[in-house]
Amino acid sequence: MKKILVVDDEESIRLLYKEELEEEGFQVEVAKDGKEALAQIPRFKPDLITLDIKMPGMDGIEVLKQIRLFERQIPIVMCSAYGEYKQDLTTWASDAYVVKCADLTELKNTIRRLLGLL
Amino acid sequence: MSDLFESLDLMRSLTNSFLSTSDSEKFYQTTLTTGVTIFKARGGVVRIMDQTKGSLEVHSSIGDYPRHPLDQRIAKRVFFTQTPFCLNRRGKEKPFQSILCVPFLVKGKSFGTLTFYDKEIEPFKFEEKDLWLLLVIAQQLSFAIENLIARREIHTLVQEQERRVKQLSTLWELSKALLTTVHFERILHLTLTAITIGEGLGFNRAMLFMVNEKDRMLEGVTGVGPDSAEEAGRIWSSLSQKKENPSEWIARISSASENHSLLNSLVKGIKIPLEYNPCILSRTVLEGRSFKVQVPQSEEGWIQARCKRGCSLGSEIGCFISEHLSHDPQVYSFATAPLWGKGRVIGVILVDNLYNQNPITDEDLQYLSMFCNQAGLAIENAMLYRHLEEVHQKLKETQTFLIHQEKMAALGELSTSIAHEIRNPLVSIGGFARRLDRSISSEAPEKRYTQTILKEVKRLEKTLSQFLSYTHQEPLVFKELDLREIMEESLSMVSQGEDGEIQLIKEFSSSLPLVKGHPEQLKQAFFNLINNARESMGGRGALSIRIYPVSKNGFSHVRVEVEDTGGGIEPEHLHHIFNPFYSTKENRFGLGLPIVHKIVTVHQGQIEVDNRPGKGVTFIITLPAEEGKKDEKDSRGR
Repeated sequence: MKKILVVDDEESIRLLYKEELEEEGFQVEVAKDGKEALAQIPRFKPDLITLDIKMPGMDGIEVLKQIRLFERQIPIVMCSAYGEYKQDLTTWASDAYVVKCADLTELKNTIRRLLGLL
Repeated sequence: MSDLFESLDLMRSLTNSFLSTSDSEKFYQTTLTTGVTIFKARGGVVRIMDQTKGSLEVHSSIGDYPRHPLDQRIAKRVFFTQTPFCLNRRGKEKPFQSILCVPFLVKGKSFGTLTFYDKEIEPFKFEEKDLWLLLVIAQQLSFAIENLIARREIHTLVQEQERRVKQLSTLWELSKALLTTVHFERILHLTLTAITIGEGLGFNRAMLFMVNEKDRMLEGVTGVGPDSAEEAGRIWSSLSQKKENPSEWIARISSASENHSLLNSLVKGIKIPLEYNPCILSRTVLEGRSFKVQVPQSEEGWIQARCKRGCSLGSEIGCFISEHLSHDPQVYSFATAPLWGKGRVIGVILVDNLYNQNPITDEDLQYLSMFCNQAGLAIENAMLYRHLEEVHQKLKETQTFLIHQEKMAALGELSTSIAHEIRNPLVSIGGFARRLDRSISSEAPEKRYTQTILKEVKRLEKTLSQFLSYTHQEPLVFKELDLREIMEESLSMVSQGEDGEIQLIKEFSSSLPLVKGHPEQLKQAFFNLINNARESMGGRGALSIRIYPVSKNGFSHVRVEVEDTGGGIEPEHLHHIFNPFYSTKENRFGLGLPIVHKIVTVHQGQIEVDNRPGKGVTFIITLPAEEGKKDEKDSRGR
């Protein structure tokens, strides 16, 4: 079973993603900020990480940089409420960029593609 | 003795007549008549020194006098030696040929002579007493003549002064008129008309050339004057009927009509390189002085244009190729005067007397130069003002643009946080509603509730995306598009069922150039306009859509018009309809029109509004066509 780490500062989003992705057959853990996420990765060893960009304290882009310092293989999907960061070169270090939507179909398809499940 | 009395009496009446007359002709004539009576002479001559020719000329004569070199020599001798002279020679038929000659002396200087010939009574010769009598008369006359001359000089001076004063007051009135306006065309018109009308400077025709410093060219700007001798005659006869003072005719010509004369269009076509030396016009600019030229007719009957460059400006002739001188003038006079701005020549005025063939005098030229000095400054002022206005306009446009940009930047920032604050909850609401929806069987009444939540969330997300695409510019991929197809797609986005009684009128041009653009954006823009129109009509009315090609500034464009019958926009809202921050109370427009505006701007197009309050409104979009843009690039590259 593939493991996914969901990083988002909003509790309801974490809950939604966890339930939806678990329903898709993934093992899901959540982190409420970058610090928590960085602490969880070595222990949980996720196969994929979804990363919210706008978070208090360390933002998603900073977290992305930090993760890439020690972990180059795990696919990372950037999630954001707006498309602005699409032009930010640092987000290119991620594997995908998804604009948040109530319809999670796009996110799920992206995850499946990155994990080679399609 | 009675002779002497008679003579004295005649002298008295002569002196009286001097005092009463200022007419030198009459005076000399009276002198001669009286003298002939006193001396019983056959004839008499008054000679006066012509200062300009330097010779003693016969001024008046009476009776018969010998036109003989000897007679002229005697007069000269008397004039220069200031000594009276009496000669009696024995003749063949008459006993004597006799000459009695005395000088006119004024303040010890002679200015003429008085001579009588051939005494007709015994002893048929002049005697010494005649000579003495004539000397006395001449002395008396000298005083009178001195007066007469002084009076005549004063008279000429007064006349000269009067003319000067009239010229100066006309000049003053003209410069006053020139100062009352900064309108470039009006000043040019006033200047040239003042030069050509009789009450002004009175030349037949006037033409204006301006210096183009950048290209070092002299360019014809405008010309005023009749196109033919017949027209000239008509104008002059109508003018001579009314007498006006300067301020009256200046007011009349200041408000004159368009200039459609042949001369005007001829002048407009003239371009001469400044460095082209043989041309009088170029020389006027380079040397900064006025020229006056008189050209006689050639043997072939034409005034010859010697300019070989074919610029229709003869080197010596001014600006006329021979066919324009169709009525065969004998002499052609023209003059030029530079128009001085501040420290440099900004143009040239060319005047001529083609129709009445009056020579142009030094005074005319001086008068013209004086006027041109005034006109030059006024024209330069007008040019500066025009330049200022252009710059001001540009500045205003830039300012408006900057304000808009600033608003957009602020809106961008705002939208980022709005997006975050709204989209995140929306994701949760929609996401959980979807989960809920899946768990509810399709027969359950709650299914409708979750469906409604999902529909509304979707709508909100769509609005949010639209809003974001408005505030955040993304790199666009432009394609060559047929706007008719885009419009059809936009129309298909409108759900037909809701259009109760809206009549759709489509007028699409059958041939249309392609437009380079973003299909989705343009579709969105057209859709927004159609939507606005439909909403304004409330289900009843006519929606007209027109698409047709236009040419703007020489470039090809496509125009799209969306017209409704929805009552138009209240004038107080009109200025704000494209402002994203502004929404009317009923929130009728929202972001729809700002988005259209943004999209059109991104496509380098223009949007205009033809608002008819109470009736309807037409939105007019003009987009550059693909071929038009290409032209533009070409011309920039040049």
